Amino acid sequence: MVNALVPETAGRAPGPRAAEPGAGGLDRLRRRRRRQTVVAYLFLAPTLLFFAVFLVLPLGFALLLSLSRWSGFDLGDIDPVGPDNFAALFADGATFLTPVLTNTLLFALGTVALALAGSVLVATCIDKLRFQGLWRTLYFLPIVTTVVAVGNVWKYMYEPGGLVNGVLNALGLGSVAFLQDPDTALPAVVVVQAWASLGTAILVLTAGLKSIPGTYYEAAALDGAGPVTVFRRITLPLLRPSLLFVCVTQFLIGLQSFALIIVMTKGGPGNATDVAALEMYRQAFSYGDWGAASAAAFVLFAVVLAVTLAQLWVFRRTGEDA
Amino acid sequence: MSGAGLGRRFPWLSYLVVVTGAVLTVVPFLDMVMTSFKGPGEAGTLPYRFLPEAFDLSNYRAAVDQLDLPVLFRNSVVATAVITGSVLLTSSLAGYALAKLRFPGRDLVFRLVLATMMFPPFLFFIPRFLILVHWPLAGGNDLWGRGGAGLTVSIAALAMPFLVNGFGIFLMRQFMVAIPDEVLEAARIDGAGEFAVWWRIVVPQTKPVVVTLGLLTFVDAWNEYIWALLVSTANPDVMTLPVGIQLLQDHVDPARTMPIVMAGLVLSVLPVLILFLLLQKHYIRGVMLSGLK
Repeated sequence: MVNALVPETAGRAPGPRAAEPGAGGLDRLRRRRRRQTVVAYLFLAPTLLFFAVFLVLPLGFALLLSLSRWSGFDLGDIDPVGPDNFAALFADGATFLTPVLTNTLLFALGTVALALAGSVLVATCIDKLRFQGLWRTLYFLPIVTTVVAVGNVWKYMYEPGGLVNGVLNALGLGSVAFLQDPDTALPAVVVVQAWASLGTAILVLTAGLKSIPGTYYEAAALDGAGPVTVFRRITLPLLRPSLLFVCVTQFLIGLQSFALIIVMTKGGPGNATDVAALEMYRQAFSYGDWGAASAAAFVLFAVVLAVTLAQLWVFRRTGEDA
Repeated sequence: MSGAGLGRRFPWLSYLVVVTGAVLTVVPFLDMVMTSFKGPGEAGTLPYRFLPEAFDLSNYRAAVDQLDLPVLFRNSVVATAVITGSVLLTSSLAGYALAKLRFPGRDLVFRLVLATMMFPPFLFFIPRFLILVHWPLAGGNDLWGRGGAGLTVSIAALAMPFLVNGFGIFLMRQFMVAIPDEVLEAARIDGAGEFAVWWRIVVPQTKPVVVTLGLLTFVDAWNEYIWALLVSTANPDVMTLPVGIQLLQDHVDPARTMPIVMAGLVLSVLPVLILFLLLQKHYIRGVMLSGLK
């Protein structure tokens, strides 16, 4: 990924040196250059138009809104008030820092921890088993399934008459009101998010495991190292780039996700599962406070950007390629 | 070669872990299917029962009727087809220009494409929605974007923010760079224009990327929820499958309608699941390339 971010400039001139020298050749060359420029921008026109209308314009508009007060009806009524919206997010008594941003971090961290633990366990075990294709297919099912299906099925499974409580009751345990209890709601949603991201994590880690030379394991076996030592001294260190990659990408996804929470809890009970992106969504589309919503979006963006840049920095420094 | 060595020493332990994980992954899907067959009063009641008393297909009929399923299906199909087609076309065209044409500003445009991948989607929900609603002279709006619903009156609004994909352009460009210039040059000397070079020589060579990118885009578009929800609140006529099913789930007595919701979910998940099972190698390669699922 990171290597590919450096655009190559050399070695792609489409052979102009093959053209014969002389005034006629130069002229033809110049005409061809001009024609290629026209064609290139023609090919790029839909993309550049899209970037202008759906990326640059919205970004500027969102920035303006984050610094304004607006009713949402007449574009002429946008009232620039400066950084008030940002100040309000962090004012005393505001819910944005706690519990919303705290929930966001807990949600992202919890997802990473669960998905990582599960995927390391499965990936190290899956390596030499038969029916690899079958396992991979099964673990991938949640990834191709719409969040509406995932969220509703799990919501139903968490209900008193649902599967999870059915299993608890069968084991002689009492029922838990997972999504109705403020103490269990966030962990319950974290489990679902981790469950849904397990397939990708296993895929990345399996690829990482395959790239570890088998001779290392043979040497360790000759030295009589036990499986735990082998795992700690060989597998974990050599798997570090893949582990780091899974951590960062899942963390970034966790910071931004809110579709699953909309489907399962709508941020409740109270604001036990309210996360930053959901708060942005609610401020905008439930309360019509476009300024507060846009400010919340930029604060979350700052967090996401900081994590992204930290990741790039770490990968560059260690020279590891994800 | 072998992974942690655990698999070799304790194969039964490895099987135990992998099978347990696979069961935990699949059980929610089975519960969804089983619930979709349950009769009224049978779902969500105590004690929990995994299997339905009888495999009752009436929920599927009810889902088709109550959910207006044909309309939801049509909207989902149209949006998904437009998005997939547009992403493939624009990515291929832009990727070709960036990989194989020489023109001033090329590196700048490529950097711009890479930069777009840095911006997370949640940042754009609000302003894009407002821009579509206040689009001048559309959907009853005046020149200043007042008075109407703007472009949200059109089903195209479902697809608009997804028509171009920076990652798609990047993927195509990286793949096309590897095509030897001599082949393209030979075609140019034979008198082929740039469009013909792209269509006759480059596009056929990029089939594997087209399948991978197309599949990734298709699955994402089919499953998309938040944007479709926004557009549907402005214009209920363009509701997609996820939005319509969630609406039924939110507004009707859950205990009674749960089997119908599950039946609707089974039907809505099926097309993507079949496509994934048929083409999973391509899909999984795409996930590896993007690393961002």
